[in-house]
Amino acid sequence: MTIADLLRSAFSNLRRRKLRSFLTIFAVVIGAGLVSLLVSLGIGAQEFLTAQIRATMPPDVLIVGSNPNAFQIGFGGMGFGGSPQELSEDESSPYSLSPLTLEEIDSVRNLEHVERVDPYIMVSADSVRLQNSEKRFRAQLSALPDYIIRNKELVAGQYLDDYSQGGCIIANQYLESFGLEQAEDAVGQELVIQVGQMTSFIGLPTKTKDYNFEIVGVAEKTLSSTQVMISLTDGKEIARFWANAPDLYTDEIPPALLQVKVEDSQYAEQVAGAIEGYELGALTSADVLGLVGNIFGIIQAVLSVFGLIALGVASLGIINTLIMAIYERTREIGVMKAVGASQRTIRLLFTIEGGVIGLLGGIIGVAIAYGLGFIINHVSHTTFLEDFETFDISLFPWWLVAGVIALSTLIALLAALYPAHRASKLNPIDALRYE
Amino acid sequence: MIELHDVWRQYHMGDETINALAGIDLDIDKGEFVSITGPSGSGKSTLLNIIGGLDSPTKGSVVVDGQDLSKASDRELSIYRNKKAGFVFQTFNLQPTYTALENVALPLVFARVPLKKRNEIARDALATVELTERMGHTPGELSGGERQRAAIARALVNDPKILLADEPTGNLDSRTSNLIVELLIRLSHERGITLLLVTHDMRIAENANRVVHMLDGRISGAPDKKVAT
Repeated sequence: MTIADLLRSAFSNLRRRKLRSFLTIFAVVIGAGLVSLLVSLGIGAQEFLTAQIRATMPPDVLIVGSNPNAFQIGFGGMGFGGSPQELSEDESSPYSLSPLTLEEIDSVRNLEHVERVDPYIMVSADSVRLQNSEKRFRAQLSALPDYIIRNKELVAGQYLDDYSQGGCIIANQYLESFGLEQAEDAVGQELVIQVGQMTSFIGLPTKTKDYNFEIVGVAEKTLSSTQVMISLTDGKEIARFWANAPDLYTDEIPPALLQVKVEDSQYAEQVAGAIEGYELGALTSADVLGLVGNIFGIIQAVLSVFGLIALGVASLGIINTLIMAIYERTREIGVMKAVGASQRTIRLLFTIEGGVIGLLGGIIGVAIAYGLGFIINHVSHTTFLEDFETFDISLFPWWLVAGVIALSTLIALLAALYPAHRASKLNPIDALRYE
Repeated sequence: MIELHDVWRQYHMGDETINALAGIDLDIDKGEFVSITGPSGSGKSTLLNIIGGLDSPTKGSVVVDGQDLSKASDRELSIYRNKKAGFVFQTFNLQPTYTALENVALPLVFARVPLKKRNEIARDALATVELTERMGHTPGELSGGERQRAAIARALVNDPKILLADEPTGNLDSRTSNLIVELLIRLSHERGITLLLVTHDMRIAENANRVVHMLDGRISGAPDKKVAT
């Protein structure tokens, strides 16, 4: 019997018992739909977070720390869920950093494929306000190299370069806070950034200082809703006040962390390896994304379990339907055997019939989930994700579509194995006499 | 053509062993028409099923056209049933949801004949039993005689070497019975097919070259009646 005939027979038999076939397929639809929709939401959220991380840490950038354990990423390293990690005798706390030596910085700078090396500047601001207003707002101050700032999309104004002074780019969300209707209205306004010294974190007496900046650009909306970006030059000056260390980021006190840009992202791992060879810590974008991937992998697996349970229940429906079909078609099976069907052919007939139930259920389930995903995206864009027009919370990559259809077909094929075996073993004479 | 040597078919019901066939020896020539008669439970149908490859003997050898069926695998038996043996049953055994054409084409499906070609062959087979007009009808829409004609067309569609008819007129009136028997005899004769016909009806049995009478799983002692055709 050819594949075409097997498929024709399977579809024809499913058509004969429309209601039963529909109910059996519907159970698969629920399972396949649940799996694909939940995973698509997980993928959407992961893609979104990945895009946010890439904007601040592009794949061709590494963070280098003086402590080789500085970036022990993983649940254990984060102190979250994993077992406490043992420290060797010469190993310090992963969170303590000392300034890098000038030799170490030069060694990193001279590595092959390294394009540029900048200090990773740590700064913090107490608040920001427009000069002509008393309303103060929280702010996340970031002193970034110009090539990272250029990764952000601007809705108004222009970018900063590393040597700009007195200019800043604000997060889009400030427009509403400042009561501005147009992004263009913000450009040119004076912004006062109040910086308190870092000792304030532990409650020691501290000084504050106001820095005046001109808003030169407004960023597109991202998750970094309170970010105020300034140049490296301004960042160094503010950092020296913030840390109360006038020599910070000079040859006297070199940075403890570096931002290293490599010629191309393909060299990131290679350069990270070389840096670790100098007993320094190195963190790549892939490391961070790997952790995010792991977390989302777990979330997606947990979400998928619901759909898989539904698919498991659906497989019981398939077994039931096919066993019923054997009882109804016993005599037909006998006739088929009498005119030349082998046990293998009968087994194939029923297995393919199960497979078709899984295939149809998978296709319809994914299609419905795709439709629901489309609606969820539409609704979210008009409500809670209004500010993130380019972000789809439900994403259906081709592998998800193909994977879920293949999975439901496979589960259905497995479910059909027992009924198919039972049908194939029917004695033709008994089957022909069956009433 | 058909050689049976010391063929036994035993069934077990609890501790009891039932001999449906008890040491059958039978030779049938190519193109011969043999009627098998005997009372109910005498083993006629069992003998036909074993020759047709639907059942296997408990012991003994069954050789048809040089092929030893007692040693054949399921796959070999299925090919044998498909290519060499054609069955006609008392209850027609047509697929109820298939049309007459689809029923007749069914053996060709298992022979992997392409759809267009098998429809062509099945149409020709229906024409030989004068059922062309009814080929789009399902068995439920056909009379008893028409159903049996469709079943005969199905049995002959793959050009078998033997035709096995188990009480083919048992569900038909006498006039239709005569027509069906005539059709079976004519078509098997024209095509040189060996015809084995199980019947209670001695009037039908007497049309055969030879009548094999069975009793209690054995061929009874009375000499076979030879009838000229």
